[in-house]
Amino acid sequence: MVTNDYQKEYDAVVIGAGNGGLTAAATLAGKGMKTLLIEQHNLPGGFATSFVRGRFEFEPSLHEISDFGPPEDKGATRQLLEDKIGLDLEWLRVPEAYRLIIPNEKGGRLDVVMPFGKEEYISKLEEYVPGSRPYVTDFISLCEEVVNAFTYLAESKGKADKNVLMDKYPNFLKTASYSLQDVLDAMKIPYLAQKILTAYWCYLGLGTKQVNFTIFAAMFYKYVMRAAYVPKYRSHGFTVALDKRIRELGGEILYNTKVEKILVKDGKVVGVETSKGDKIKTQFVISNASPHLVYNQLIYPKEEIPDIALKTCNARKVSFSAFVVYLGLNKSPQELGINEYSYFVYSTPDTNDIYKQFHELRRPTGQATVCLNNSIPDCSPEGTSIVYLTTLYSGDCWSKVEPKDYFELKNKIAEEMIDEFEKALGINIRDSIEEIEVATPATFASYTGAFNGSVYGYEPVPWDSVLPRMMCMNDEKYIKGLEFAGGFAFRCHGYSSSLQSGETAALLTYKDFMEVKNNEQTVEH
Amino acid sequence: MSKQLNIKIKPLGFLDLLAFKNLIPTRKKNISNAAADLIEAAPPVNVLAQRLHPKAQHFVIEDVTFETSSAKTFRLVPDEESETGELAFFRPGQYLTFSFKINGSTVKRPYSISSSPNEALKGYYDITVKRDEGGFVSSYIFDNWDKGTKVTSSGPEGHFSYDNLRDSNKIIGIAGGCGITPFRSIAKSIIEGLLDIDLILFYGCNKKEDIIFYNEYKELEKNSDGKFKVVYVLAEEDLEGFEQGFITSDLIRRYTDIEKKSFFICGPQGLYNFIDKELVKENIERKFIRKEVFGEIKDIEKYEGFPQDATEERFNVKVHIGDDSSTIPAKATESLLVALERAGLCPPSGCRSGACGLCRSLLIDGNVYIPKDVDGRRMADIQFGYIHPCSTFPVSDVEMIVSREA
Repeated sequence: MVTNDYQKEYDAVVIGAGNGGLTAAATLAGKGMKTLLIEQHNLPGGFATSFVRGRFEFEPSLHEISDFGPPEDKGATRQLLEDKIGLDLEWLRVPEAYRLIIPNEKGGRLDVVMPFGKEEYISKLEEYVPGSRPYVTDFISLCEEVVNAFTYLAESKGKADKNVLMDKYPNFLKTASYSLQDVLDAMKIPYLAQKILTAYWCYLGLGTKQVNFTIFAAMFYKYVMRAAYVPKYRSHGFTVALDKRIRELGGEILYNTKVEKILVKDGKVVGVETSKGDKIKTQFVISNASPHLVYNQLIYPKEEIPDIALKTCNARKVSFSAFVVYLGLNKSPQELGINEYSYFVYSTPDTNDIYKQFHELRRPTGQATVCLNNSIPDCSPEGTSIVYLTTLYSGDCWSKVEPKDYFELKNKIAEEMIDEFEKALGINIRDSIEEIEVATPATFASYTGAFNGSVYGYEPVPWDSVLPRMMCMNDEKYIKGLEFAGGFAFRCHGYSSSLQSGETAALLTYKDFMEVKNNEQTVEH
Repeated sequence: MSKQLNIKIKPLGFLDLLAFKNLIPTRKKNISNAAADLIEAAPPVNVLAQRLHPKAQHFVIEDVTFETSSAKTFRLVPDEESETGELAFFRPGQYLTFSFKINGSTVKRPYSISSSPNEALKGYYDITVKRDEGGFVSSYIFDNWDKGTKVTSSGPEGHFSYDNLRDSNKIIGIAGGCGITPFRSIAKSIIEGLLDIDLILFYGCNKKEDIIFYNEYKELEKNSDGKFKVVYVLAEEDLEGFEQGFITSDLIRRYTDIEKKSFFICGPQGLYNFIDKELVKENIERKFIRKEVFGEIKDIEKYEGFPQDATEERFNVKVHIGDDSSTIPAKATESLLVALERAGLCPPSGCRSGACGLCRSLLIDGNVYIPKDVDGRRMADIQFGYIHPCSTFPVSDVEMIVSREA
């Protein structure tokens, strides 16, 4: 039973100050809505934060932000943060797209360094795989069409003209329901070129046979064309700036406070209750917490949980958690022989095998490793470097781990990853470890309460990729006044998507808010 | 608007529009075929996270042992009337942060766990507390904690633990006074086979009677197969079987070579000041020096750069917590955290040494002094005016926003 003893009232409450929650709150406050952002921790960011060990400040989850672009050619994420929200921060360009190493590739070791930029990328690939140019050129053109089609769909606000789609974006429509592998094969792209083109697959958390083509295409295209950027002072640098901006815009933020209930009456949001006993009246909630957490744990009373919302949760698959080894090394990247910023090391050639291994608690077969100094030279003291090695695990494969075995297990896996990285590059880093921290799925789960420790969102298989999510957005709004932001929202996971999802959720909320307000005024007059 | 494209793509094989048309029906079908079950149980990783990092642990004191006239070991077992069933496993060297309500104000203090992780599996933690002259909380514990007392702590925290990927497996421990407590956990873990390291521990005390765990350490040394050895260094007594003086690098070298060995140091502030100078002489790489956080700085006026004319000053601190604002007094020589606690404002806190950031607060106005070696703030926090009140000292009237208690 929801009673009426509210202490305060807000136009909107945002649950969670992760990437999506922060941009949502900033956008709402910027529109003049009386906004309260509630965060369980004592600082903003969620996984977009930083932590200090000794003389190193580590970046916990970000590798690079896509869709950002240089100041003179801003991508959507830079536009959002700088032009719409008003942040003024230093961002650094990542020097190369990636270095990909597959030691056991068919026909021998594959070791390539790929540059940003369309021409540069195509030419470099031609060098590594002679004869690939026409295929890769076609592939990139197709990716461009996908990006333009998404732009058209977003601009048409759910009223896309079928004829325009058929006329201008026919290949988008043709590929929208297929996997990445289906499209690669249909285009007859040479095997090695496929391997190089798909290196980013792990950022989507699905092997090439499962991941929807269009979401991969959009991500790939934005990375290669617009390059990638990182914030100068770790993710904490921009999330703390967003915190400040929200307060400047009149928004309020409550830290060390957890939302325990979203109060719902007759299918509409009416308020929230917190761990500190706050009872707040509001008609609008944007949740940075996932639908899984909201529908299974937060909606109150339980009779208000729509069956269809639970079915939607249960039909989808929550994607991976992460395992990250953070190293503060007492040598410079040059001394260590680490010359690139971003490395993908895949111990086995087939992405689908690696995807399977991510479900098993054994030696990791895929890692994405970053040397932060190669984008931010002064991110650590002179003569030192910050390197972090990331792999993925499903939450479920940690279910049998007992606390007494936990510390040994995590160092064992960390050592295997260090070993793999050292072997792939032919270098030694373990003798230079001055600081080490290892985050496991349990660390991520402990830190934000994310469902099964997931650092991503729902798996973007073809039927649950961005396009079908977009097309079903209205049908799948199960509780009035409730929107979602963050990695579990419709744009899928990743920093850019999460940041942009907060803006989208805020704009949708604002539209509904104005409707309610206008109706109220009509009644009053 | 997107520009007109001119794509010349070869026919995309079997890919067709039919699949596109089926996209939404497929989605609807998948959703309607799914179960409408509520997931009531926490998922496995969240369960593991909760077991490893409980937000709070509730205990009853089962036993109290006098170690010396001024040190007691408290054995803590789960409070059966609480939700604490098992005790969180931990890494030898970690601490628990305890909450106290003393004279109306809530304060927190970290205490190292002096028992081994295996003992936690058996159902108890030990913590060993030394009564500190003028120590407000340690005196409270001494006078108030007894068999049957109920106490509450955080989960295990801190980074003063051996790491096989980072540290040498030959450890030189240096302890002073109550800094001995984490080494009991480490030594027991060596004997129990949890840690595969050698530890030679240099333990500095004023007099023999101040030595904590003397007999127990003798026993542990005997059972350690040479992997654990203690060298006692007495400042004020010259006795046979004990070193006399201070823990200098020369003294250490008389017992062991120090190249490529890891130093683990835990003690009061004076010990760090002394050892730092000794290790600088030896040119030890930073990676081989691990120091436990040591709590609040008690002689801030001795720090370089502290404004000497402020030493006797008291300032007003305007504090905003949630919707409440108040103005409280603060001494220049006491941290802002202590001022907040004295005023009964229940601020969040953890390590009390500038490192963990749990007390992170926003300084709106005023000047403060933050000693460089305990400034554990993030770079962006420094830029945006955040402080860690536990390692921040007011040198003018200040205004700050503090988070609610965690």
